[in-house]
Amino acid sequence: MATAIKVRDINKSYGNLQALSDINLDIKKGEFFGLLGPNGAGKSTLIGIIGGLVHKDSGEVSVLGRDIIKNYRETKKSLGIVPQEITFDPYFTVRETLEMHSGYFGIKDNTDKINELLEALSLTDKAEIGPRQLSGGMKRRLLIAKALVHDPEIIVLDEPTAGVDVELRNSLWEYVINLNNEGKTIILTTHYLEEAEALCDRIAIMDQGKIVKVDSKENLINSIDKKIIKIKFADPAHGLEEDLVEIDYELKDNQRQIEIETARRDLDKILKKINALNLEIIDIDIESAKLEDVFIKLTNLGGGDN
Amino acid sequence: MIINNITFFSLVKREVARFSKVAIQTIFAPLISTGLYLIIFSYSFQNREVAGYGIPYIDFIVPGLIMMSLIQNSFANTSSSLIGAKYNGIIIDFLLAPFSYIELTLGFMIGGMVRGLVVGSVTYLVATFFYGGAVAHPLLAVFFAILVSSIFSLFGIVAGLWAEKFDHVSIFSNFFITPLTFLSGVFYSVKGLPGIWSEVSLFNPVFYMVDAVRFAFVGQSDITPAFSALIIGSLAVILLLVVTYLFKIGYKVKS
Repeated sequence: MATAIKVRDINKSYGNLQALSDINLDIKKGEFFGLLGPNGAGKSTLIGIIGGLVHKDSGEVSVLGRDIIKNYRETKKSLGIVPQEITFDPYFTVRETLEMHSGYFGIKDNTDKINELLEALSLTDKAEIGPRQLSGGMKRRLLIAKALVHDPEIIVLDEPTAGVDVELRNSLWEYVINLNNEGKTIILTTHYLEEAEALCDRIAIMDQGKIVKVDSKENLINSIDKKIIKIKFADPAHGLEEDLVEIDYELKDNQRQIEIETARRDLDKILKKINALNLEIIDIDIESAKLEDVFIKLTNLGGGDN
Repeated sequence: MIINNITFFSLVKREVARFSKVAIQTIFAPLISTGLYLIIFSYSFQNREVAGYGIPYIDFIVPGLIMMSLIQNSFANTSSSLIGAKYNGIIIDFLLAPFSYIELTLGFMIGGMVRGLVVGSVTYLVATFFYGGAVAHPLLAVFFAILVSSIFSLFGIVAGLWAEKFDHVSIFSNFFITPLTFLSGVFYSVKGLPGIWSEVSLFNPVFYMVDAVRFAFVGQSDITPAFSALIIGSLAVILLLVVTYLFKIGYKVKS
């Protein structure tokens, strides 16, 4: 698979703060890529460098094989970046804004694409009004439309659903998934780990200006050996201390439910012990690790393993 | 390719559309103050002539007042557009789009020039009611007006990029543009200033602009218009290079 974005040895500091240290990253064409990390990890700085909003101290970035400095015209046309902050030009209506942006990217008559975006982002009935009259969610949709107006190959969404209601979030993801299915490369940064888990093929986890791990979502989740067994009994379970020695468990719901956190290799042993209790089981759930567990383990939120 | 036509003209169009949408504030409001100057000076000094020029005072100040409108509005357009873009956060639109540095420079500059020239032209039309409207060298007047508007458009870009809030732009306006314009010979002949003051005025770049345009209007000036043209032209080229460089380094807009 061809490379959409190649980042090599990128460093960036703000005074004494090293915002990015030796960042190397390859994002493949057509993939849905997640860039995760706690606040201040350097995600937006990295996106800023790729988009030309931030100067890099050293290193190189290429977009679809072209250097972002030497071939800025082509690389900027290939990128559609939805910034984190909501911004709008108060002088122009929604349609005028999109027409102007089309012009910035060298497109003279872009009416069909603009209409398509307005429709897809439910802004058609707001096309002729100024952005001040739009709600927060609508302003964010306008930002997305602005980023897509030149039909870029690579779409970067920097925290696109922050402060957006659930309904809009779902319709937004539906649209972005369609774009990905059409072959567009999607790069997503988000605080909502369940979003990244549901959408991304591969994920880079950043912390303190470094990329601490890049892997497929499955590999990342499988890297954490954690299973949570939840069993519901028909009657309260008593006197488990002797039967479940050396097992880390917790009783809930008036001792009718037991939760056991364990590793994969101990599953068989634990289930046999539970079975030996001779209690009537009415329900069983076994949960695997989540992306959140990986995230906490790899970032300083979990005390650091990096 | 340094300039892509569609990209470049989209920026020019945006800059012109921006001030046109608030024309009451950007075009007509400046006419009120200039109109008041014309009324006050034409009635207060209606029988007075300017020493050394032998023309009525109103004929003398009209070119200066036109220049003043043109200077203030060219500067106001670019400076407010950029500080506004920074304030609203849409400055990133210009950074994310495939603009070359020279496109950004010329795009913003031409937007400011259009506003300066529109306000200057309307000021001239209003002034014709007060002095008859004669212009000795019309093409030269247009040439100098274009050059001067480009200088203050570019100066406005510098101010807009440098400013971190709207107050900072008014520092440029109140402490540089207004004093330099008022002391440039808009209302008096610098030749007639006492002592050292006529020499001091030669360090004021706006003096050359007002003097050159006055020559174009009345055929007389304090110094030779060719020298003024040299000063104004040099200043325009220097500012053009400075602004292009500022966009190149992303001065105060890229971190």
